[in-house]
Amino acid sequence: MKTRWALVLAAPPLAIALAFFVVPVAYLFWVSLHQPSQSELYGAALTLGNYAGILGDSFYLEITRRTLGVAAAILALCLLVGYPVAYFVALLPARRRMLVTLLLLFPLMVSNVVRAYGWIALLARRGVINAGLEGLGVIAAPLELLYTTPAVVVGLMTILLPYMVISIANTLAALDRRYEEAAQALGAGPLRTFLHVTLPLSMPGVASGTLLVLLLTLSAYVTITLLGGPRSKLLVSMIYDGVTAFQWPHAAALSFILLALALVLTGVILGVLRPARVQGTGR
Amino acid sequence: MSALGSSAGEIDVRLTTVRKSFGPVLAVHDVDIEIPRGSIFSLLGPSGCGKTTTLRLIAGFEQPDAGEVYIRGDRVTALPPYKRNFSMVFQSYALFPHLSVAENVAFGLRMRKTPRAERSRAVTEALDLVKLGALAERYPRQLSGGQQQRVALARALVIKPAVLLLDEPLGALDKMLREEMQIELRSLQQRLGITAVFVTHDQEEALTLSDRVAVMRNGVIEQVGPPREIYDRPCTEFVAGFLGASNFLDGTVAAREGATAIVETAAGPIRLGADAPVGARVRVAVRPERVRMRRDGAAGLPARIRDIVYRGPVTHFYLDSAAGALVCHQQAADAGAWSVGDEVRCAWDPASAVVLSDGRA
Amino acid sequence: MSRRRTAGRAIRGTAAAIAFVLILVPIVIVVVAAFSPKDYFDFPPSGLSWRWFVEFFRLENMRGAFALSVELALAAATLATVLGTLGALFLVRRRGPLATLLQALFLAPLVFPTIVLGVALLLLYKTVGMPVFPGLLLAHCVIGMPYGFRTVLASAQALDPALEEAGQSLGAGPLATLLLLTLPLVWPGVLSGWLFAFIVSFGELNAALFLTGPGVTTLPIEIFSYLQFQGSQLVIAAASTLQIALIIGLVALIERLVGIGRIIRAR
Repeated sequence: MKTRWALVLAAPPLAIALAFFVVPVAYLFWVSLHQPSQSELYGAALTLGNYAGILGDSFYLEITRRTLGVAAAILALCLLVGYPVAYFVALLPARRRMLVTLLLLFPLMVSNVVRAYGWIALLARRGVINAGLEGLGVIAAPLELLYTTPAVVVGLMTILLPYMVISIANTLAALDRRYEEAAQALGAGPLRTFLHVTLPLSMPGVASGTLLVLLLTLSAYVTITLLGGPRSKLLVSMIYDGVTAFQWPHAAALSFILLALALVLTGVILGVLRPARVQGTGR
Repeated sequence: MSALGSSAGEIDVRLTTVRKSFGPVLAVHDVDIEIPRGSIFSLLGPSGCGKTTTLRLIAGFEQPDAGEVYIRGDRVTALPPYKRNFSMVFQSYALFPHLSVAENVAFGLRMRKTPRAERSRAVTEALDLVKLGALAERYPRQLSGGQQQRVALARALVIKPAVLLLDEPLGALDKMLREEMQIELRSLQQRLGITAVFVTHDQEEALTLSDRVAVMRNGVIEQVGPPREIYDRPCTEFVAGFLGASNFLDGTVAAREGATAIVETAAGPIRLGADAPVGARVRVAVRPERVRMRRDGAAGLPARIRDIVYRGPVTHFYLDSAAGALVCHQQAADAGAWSVGDEVRCAWDPASAVVLSDGRA
Repeated sequence: MSRRRTAGRAIRGTAAAIAFVLILVPIVIVVVAAFSPKDYFDFPPSGLSWRWFVEFFRLENMRGAFALSVELALAAATLATVLGTLGALFLVRRRGPLATLLQALFLAPLVFPTIVLGVALLLLYKTVGMPVFPGLLLAHCVIGMPYGFRTVLASAQALDPALEEAGQSLGAGPLATLLLLTLPLVWPGVLSGWLFAFIVSFGELNAALFLTGPGVTTLPIEIFSYLQFQGSQLVIAAASTLQIALIIGLVALIERLVGIGRIIRAR
């Protein structure tokens, strides 16, 4: 009786998760191992050629390098700006902190395309920034701000910043004040307390924020395309191009290379930050 | 050990050779219980002794690995809880937060498809029984702990179950409220004639409330019987020690006179009614309040008063004798004459002493 | 207060100010642009006009995309929340390797790059011949399921386990317990899970990018196409502002029903 009832609960979500998540991704991997085909979705023969072709191509290596550079820049900026902001939010009294958190959540609910559009309005040749600078007489001709890699970095960074802030702020807010008080009782000033107590204890939040921003950066096709234009393509743009050109095995291989990249970087980040060390503290 | 009592009337709850393990831990070890209708039965013991598991086996929240459970003669071992004829008062009361007091109490009747008019009449009656009629429309979060407990009780009683189970029901209440509730619970139970089983680690509570007590340790019932029997005639050292303070004297049976044995201890001989044969090594238990101290020279075990502690209505005397430490509790009125260092003689009515066995009696 | 302390506060306050400006200004600009009376984006604005909103509703493809996004989000959020709730109720008191695996599976779409999921689903759909709208619906259902799952799981785990047993002791079978006891008590989790799933679906880009088709487009994808191929027409600003307004409206509604604290905590 109990097992029958349990099946009613578990079967539907499991079925959907398997059929429309696990199976498609596995299928995609399967296709990435096939020869391309002109007439079908993919050819009959199995091959590792798709992967070899990408990994051996200097063009793709350059794209990957650029992708990693963009990701690193965004992560650095998000951490640099995000951590102090998170600290600020965490120290707010409860009611105000809830309202500020809502203010941070709100932009995340607005589609990325809208936020990218806002940046286009700011950075375009006739956008707000250029118009303002020209009006003030600072520049004579409009600056080429849009369709550059820095535009992608700045735009994406501001779009993803709330994730970092909320992640770190939650961890900081849950930290037991007494750890800091104990450090100060032992003679550590504010800076030393921060470096040796607060910062390490906030690592779980830093780690989850970093991973989230990383993953979203790698897959943010629309923002990258709108702000970067044709000259600043990243790895994810290649996947889109592959699909629109019906080169399924190629696009599939690119997708898994992206996934592998994400996994490797996740491992590196977890290794560097080692949040597991402090898991289970503070609460 | 079988818990068969001299039952008048039907047996409402029966467990036969029930066993339950959680992984490698044997929580309940071949337990047999029989509970006659209209009696209060308590499971008493320290934490981890298996008393709560036994209660949950009666309820059906746990399934036994072996043995059978019967309620009112029906074999319910394979039945889920919602098909068994019982109700339960939980330690946390478990009142449904989203329902009012009246709706909480009515819940069981709703499940039994009782028609609305009869339902509301029964609810009013139940709430009046626990003296909470005025709070029918309140919500659990608006009530005090004692009030929540009464609602839980009303909710369990209104469906007129075959057996009422209570899991440490008074644990969360303060001392005064607890004593009040103990008296009320007992009177309610007797008025309604409901069979009740409750679990507690508080020996005073068990002695106050129950018709019969089962003392459990490590999944086994060490002794079952009416409170007086358990207290005055414990079978094992554990039972003796758990129910209250006790003196333990070791000795050997030197001679027998009919039903009486004469046990030679390091401090001298003591007489008591026992079956042990001559030559047997025994341990004897005597309650401190049964020990009488007499002037040196009278009959009894010689001892010297080491410490006197005034405890209000009683005074505790701690003595040293050749047979080990002794404790004597005297009413304050009789305690005035003694001082620390006095040499005395300790004696007691032979009927107050008991021989203990090692394990299950 | 030591100088170091005030310096710390100054840094944090400045960083917060910069951050909020950077985060919110693009959105504010879009909203301001939507009310521009001119043909181009005018800053500072010379007046307020509804013309672009009118234009938005006049354009059939815009109207259609908006309607589709709403329909899709309603359906996907509801389906996702039902499934997520079922999964959460199944896992709430279960331990062990199987339970951990299932929980990871149900939460996985949160961290899995949706772009890859979009590609994978498109390939699968093309192979089996899945029609566009159902395919998109199921994709958004998979993407939205973790939200309901997470919030309901949190709500359910916070419940006293004795509550269900109390229900059983009074004669409530599994169905009665679920409907009369469990669901009413995890309702805030269900509602906030639904809200997040709706908002996520409404703004979702990466999967919709691949899974939309001729005649079946979501509003964000429509906006994206316009921006890519027709330049920044201000009707986009109106479309974006409508989306923002819808989200604000939804959050306010749920706040009424469930309370702000519940939404944020349940996240």
